[in-house]
Amino acid sequence: MNSVLGPRSQRAVIWWRRLVVMTRKEMLQLFRDIPIMLFLVYSFTLGVYIIGSGLRSQLHNASLAVYDADHSFSSRDLIHKFRAPFFRLEGEIADSQEGLRWLDRGKAMAVLEIPARFHEQLVAGEPTAVQLLVDTTNSPQGLSAAGYAARIVARFGQETALARVGSSEESSQNLPIIVSDHRVWYNPDQNETWFESISHLLRQITIFAILLPAAALVREKERGTVEQLLVSPLTPFQIMVSKVLAMTVVILCATAVGLFGIMQPVFGVPIKGSIVLFFALTALFVFTTAGMGLAAATLTRNQAQVGMMTLLVVAPMLLLSGLTAPMEVMPAWVRHLMALSPLRYFIEITHGILLKGAGLRVLGDSILAMAILGGALFGFSMWRFRRQFE
Amino acid sequence: MNLRRIAAVASKEWRETTRDRMFFLLAFLLPILWMVVFGYGLVLDVESIPFAVVDRDRSALSRDYLYHFFESRYFSFQGYLPSENEADVMLQSSKIRAAIIVPEKFGERLLDGQPVSIQTLIDGTFPLRTDITKGYVIAINSAFSEEQLVAYFSRRAGISRAQAEAQVRPIKLEVRYLYNEEVRSTWSIVPALVMFALMVSSPLLTALGIVREKETGSIYNIYSSTVTRIEFLAGKLLPYVLISSVNAVVLWIMATLWFGVPFKGDAPFFLLASLVFVLSSTGIGLLVSLLVRTQIAALIITIIVSMVPTILYSGLIVPVSSLSTGSQLQAHLFPGMYYTNIVRGAFLKGVGPEVLWVDVLALALYAAVLQIIGYRLFTKRPRS
Repeated sequence: MNSVLGPRSQRAVIWWRRLVVMTRKEMLQLFRDIPIMLFLVYSFTLGVYIIGSGLRSQLHNASLAVYDADHSFSSRDLIHKFRAPFFRLEGEIADSQEGLRWLDRGKAMAVLEIPARFHEQLVAGEPTAVQLLVDTTNSPQGLSAAGYAARIVARFGQETALARVGSSEESSQNLPIIVSDHRVWYNPDQNETWFESISHLLRQITIFAILLPAAALVREKERGTVEQLLVSPLTPFQIMVSKVLAMTVVILCATAVGLFGIMQPVFGVPIKGSIVLFFALTALFVFTTAGMGLAAATLTRNQAQVGMMTLLVVAPMLLLSGLTAPMEVMPAWVRHLMALSPLRYFIEITHGILLKGAGLRVLGDSILAMAILGGALFGFSMWRFRRQFE
Repeated sequence: MNLRRIAAVASKEWRETTRDRMFFLLAFLLPILWMVVFGYGLVLDVESIPFAVVDRDRSALSRDYLYHFFESRYFSFQGYLPSENEADVMLQSSKIRAAIIVPEKFGERLLDGQPVSIQTLIDGTFPLRTDITKGYVIAINSAFSEEQLVAYFSRRAGISRAQAEAQVRPIKLEVRYLYNEEVRSTWSIVPALVMFALMVSSPLLTALGIVREKETGSIYNIYSSTVTRIEFLAGKLLPYVLISSVNAVVLWIMATLWFGVPFKGDAPFFLLASLVFVLSSTGIGLLVSLLVRTQIAALIITIIVSMVPTILYSGLIVPVSSLSTGSQLQAHLFPGMYYTNIVRGAFLKGVGPEVLWVDVLALALYAAVLQIIGYRLFTKRPRS
């Protein structure tokens, strides 16, 4: 040891060395588990690619069957308006009974019925109606389909009406109507690959960050090697933090590979804000989430228990934190419950930095909340761990 | 194959499972807790989108127009803003998800019979929400346009409102919702949760049970015993199939009695199909457990293999037909999708084997293939 240093700094150096040695041990143990490493690489590369390129949350290609009792120019014109990306024409059917059978079998999600004399009534300026049967076993998607259909029919009707009026006296330019002019910000082309690949990256980080440290700690308890660690000069803090440190380094590297190797070059996901801030906050997120895993580990005795326990927590985190449905539409009690989910804050942070170019000022609240949560979870785990072994 | 030896392995496994109190409790509690949390909490209808308004006109007509948004349950009004710059800041900090900008002379131009363009700024980070917001804005805009047109025509042509209305809106769309007439989110989510809970918890139970023996080394007792491969696997799976089947029944009862979702189908057929599904989902756990050596690997791989595809590809949230071709292919490779068809069909549509036999057959094939691969992979002569 360097004698220039005072006894206090010497102790600090030793403390740090011990931490580094323990962290290395955790990493070695992880790297030697080939199936885990294979899955880690898969999840952050090919997995992100497959899900980013293939998943759509909006309604696409709702299969539509048409019963056209009119077979006229107008009915064909209307049917033609039901097209991609929202609808896919599955085929024409001979009568309404067959439509019901198609719905039963899931062959069609909606059936459009056009009555006889549709064209005649339309030309004569008489009111007419078309019917849409919608399968609502998946209710939000059924509602979406009905909404798109209503838009298509309304526009078709207005066009026909205005064409008739316009030919007689005035052009449609001179009517008191509202023209919708949208500007979509942060993702102007509505590129769903951005959202889906980011979401998948966050899901993978969450799963690995909570499971790896939890299982690593319980494994020591289960096999009894934790007793060896406790009789060594290591403090409980060093034993716990070294596990988290090792996993954080590994997960950060995997995130970098996913972000710079797949998401940025292949999908063109922008990085508008500070990349340093993003990785610093990813580290904080992994720390906080790992704290959750460690807390579960201190409450359980073996890996089977900790597996079930973390699964119990991970599923609500992934489904209710704002990746499947936006946070603001959730019931109030879910929003309160999810204040305990670090992922809820990290979604805000990731979208903020990558897509919106937000900085510390805007994200301050989320960062603070996550840090407090992480501190509390670590404190709890430390307290449980000490109580069990000292 | 000796039934007594299977029973012996099964009863050993059963005792081991029941004696681990917490594990045993969680095995049953997990699906129930999820059912309660997601059944009430997983709301997919996008409503109360927070928005703000920049009203440059401040006329009676602009207030009338904006009133449509204030009234709508799809929007939640956060306040008036003086200019677009404030809207930018609010959007960036996620305080609002949309901003509506009413231009100057909005009322004047409309009364004069001229078109007006309304600008809406929408947060594009969440594509589903963006799309739905856009749809609602268009719907409100066209409803308001229609009102204006009706008023305009009846004024200009001197016809009654009803006549003007018929002119403006010549075609009505009558929508009939089938199977879930009131379009309740709970009715569509709860049956799918039966699938989710079984699909995610059963493989983990199974995988942990088998890898545990490998990691602690107690599997060497099996290697050196007279128990054959098939007897060991059958005995090992039996307790987990039993636990999962009990869970299936409990979830079914919760869905019908607690959440009040109608069950229109054939109960014996549904239970049989559920058993086939349980065999295929435990098969996933079996396969993973034979490919890894440690419980930590079994844990991670099973969760990734069972949970991620179940959230994304099973039809729980996004219908399989909306996915790209590549993803549809993946969806067909996981059992979740077939069972989603079965639960939704049996609960809401009231269809039976005449329609769902394809899905049951697919699950049966899936289970058989997994068990055969598992049998092939399992060897009593460990390599190195």
